[in-house]
Amino acid sequence: MPAKWISKSDLKKLLAQWQKKHLVYAPMHNGHELAFQVVKDVEDMVLDGFLNTRYPAKSLFLPQSEALMKFDGILHSVETDEKEKIIFGLRACDAHALRLLDHALVDEQNPDEYWEKKRAAAVVITLGCNSPDETCFCTAVGGSPFNTAGSDAMLVEMGEEYLVYSISKKAEALFQDLPQADGSKTQNARKFMKGVETRMPGLFPKQELHDALMASFETDFWKAVSQSCLGCGVCTFLCPSCFCFDIVDETVRRERVRNWDSCMFRKYSLEASGHNPRPTKIERTRQRVMHKFAYWVDLIDEMGCTGCGRCVRYCPVNIDIRAIATEALHREFEGMKK
Amino acid sequence: MKNCYEPIPMHIERVVIETSDASLKSFELTFNRKEDCEEFFSQYRPGQFCQLSIFGKGEAPIGIASAAWEGDFVRFTVQKMGKFTSAIHEMHAGDAIGMRGPLGNGFPLEEWEGMKLLIIGGGCAFSTLYAMTKHILHPAHRSDYADITALYGTRNSGLCLYKPVIEEWHNRNDIVVHQAVDVAEKDWKYHVGYVPAVLEELAPEPDNTVAVLCGPPVMTKFTIPVLTKLGFPPELIYTSLEKRMKCGVGHCGRCNIGHKYVCKDGPVFTLQELQRLPNEI
Repeated sequence: MPAKWISKSDLKKLLAQWQKKHLVYAPMHNGHELAFQVVKDVEDMVLDGFLNTRYPAKSLFLPQSEALMKFDGILHSVETDEKEKIIFGLRACDAHALRLLDHALVDEQNPDEYWEKKRAAAVVITLGCNSPDETCFCTAVGGSPFNTAGSDAMLVEMGEEYLVYSISKKAEALFQDLPQADGSKTQNARKFMKGVETRMPGLFPKQELHDALMASFETDFWKAVSQSCLGCGVCTFLCPSCFCFDIVDETVRRERVRNWDSCMFRKYSLEASGHNPRPTKIERTRQRVMHKFAYWVDLIDEMGCTGCGRCVRYCPVNIDIRAIATEALHREFEGMKK
Repeated sequence: MKNCYEPIPMHIERVVIETSDASLKSFELTFNRKEDCEEFFSQYRPGQFCQLSIFGKGEAPIGIASAAWEGDFVRFTVQKMGKFTSAIHEMHAGDAIGMRGPLGNGFPLEEWEGMKLLIIGGGCAFSTLYAMTKHILHPAHRSDYADITALYGTRNSGLCLYKPVIEEWHNRNDIVVHQAVDVAEKDWKYHVGYVPAVLEELAPEPDNTVAVLCGPPVMTKFTIPVLTKLGFPPELIYTSLEKRMKCGVGHCGRCNIGHKYVCKDGPVFTLQELQRLPNEI
């Protein structure tokens, strides 16, 4: 792939230029955690020495809480006039997840204008992940630290400069004045990226894993797997590809709001009759894992996980979705196709 | 771009108390705007549902209980259960209400043309079957289908919905209606027993016949084996499912069974389709 290049100091100047015309979001410390925030001073941006933001970049497109309607006797749509924005410095796993979420939320028949307008107004510029963590597994689920799915452009840090790979026309325009990287720069980068990738875990056999999980559905495998789960939902809240939401009325604000929801909660699937198809954490854990590794595969022939590792890092009882998948692959469930 | 979360402004035209204990009421809603009415009826097919909306109480998915030919209104039969349904039970003719829909796939009526229909309903889940039966019994549609048999069971006669119309069906010669109550009652003229047992006793022939089944999960669970024993193949047994729903259009995630969403891909599924999905009803 042809690339351009920019020095670290010039990148800050370029971001400062963009910032005059666009809203620029980048990872910054907010006192609690690393989070995407609007850049006011480019010196506040955190561009190296970090693994990832705590909340995935999906929160910029599907906010944790978002007003859909205003009530004034009847319900009216909230105006969704989205300003052009540049999201800078997300990781490949989070950008990849945006593309997965497009499959879930872009719908010609019933468009979700809140999602679509935010997506259309954003330029997504990924920062390749030079030092993935022990909990990272993007390569196991069809991605890579330098995967460009869902990105308009990707930057790869090489010493004191970045190589710039533009994917979309929007990104090309932003980087048009940069010089082309010569053959030695691109070759070095390719070698470096390959090196990082080869230290990462191998790919899960997608179909085999799907089939194993489908065969496991009514077995006690899930009882063992879910035993330590506290049902806190952090795995789904911090997941870049989870998109489930609740719709509730905030009567004081006179708004109808959608809030992130989680299949790990009992009320999520509780019906008015009292019947609950997922009454315990056994069924709920099964749903979370099977949605990622079986149902997404049925839908689009891809796994619905991008391997960001947040659910592994933040689970208070160390439940590890990689271990569940690996265990399922090694089990022999009855009725399994061989 | 039409916002799929924005309810259509409606108002309640008529409220009918359906059952002797008043736990079920029918609400006939009419449209505040003519264009909404036209758009709704250009899409509606029996078996679909709507999200009814009361600000402050939220939304609830309710099956449509009226046929298009009945007029420019949409009927919903609602059992008083939780926060939303208790609120609507307090509402009267003239009150404003929101509605999103029609949602879901509905019954594939075109695929059934030329076939016999066996309609099996239990309790309040009969509402969409009622809409479908009304649609089919209309002179413009009746000749598209062969014999029609309906079996409708309720716990007692007081819980039977749409009594005047069902009474009228008994006197028609283009539909055979069987009614059942769980335990014997004075002056009850029809069957006594649970739906699966009555079905077994009636033993309808499966040839060229579609069985359409809507009822509480326990009825569905025990009726399907009877249909199978009678020789109905899984691709000709249809049922309509319920799930907790929010968006109604396949975005919010919660009503999935495997990779299918009950709101968008259903609520109507064949037994064959369900057999291919994880058992999570």
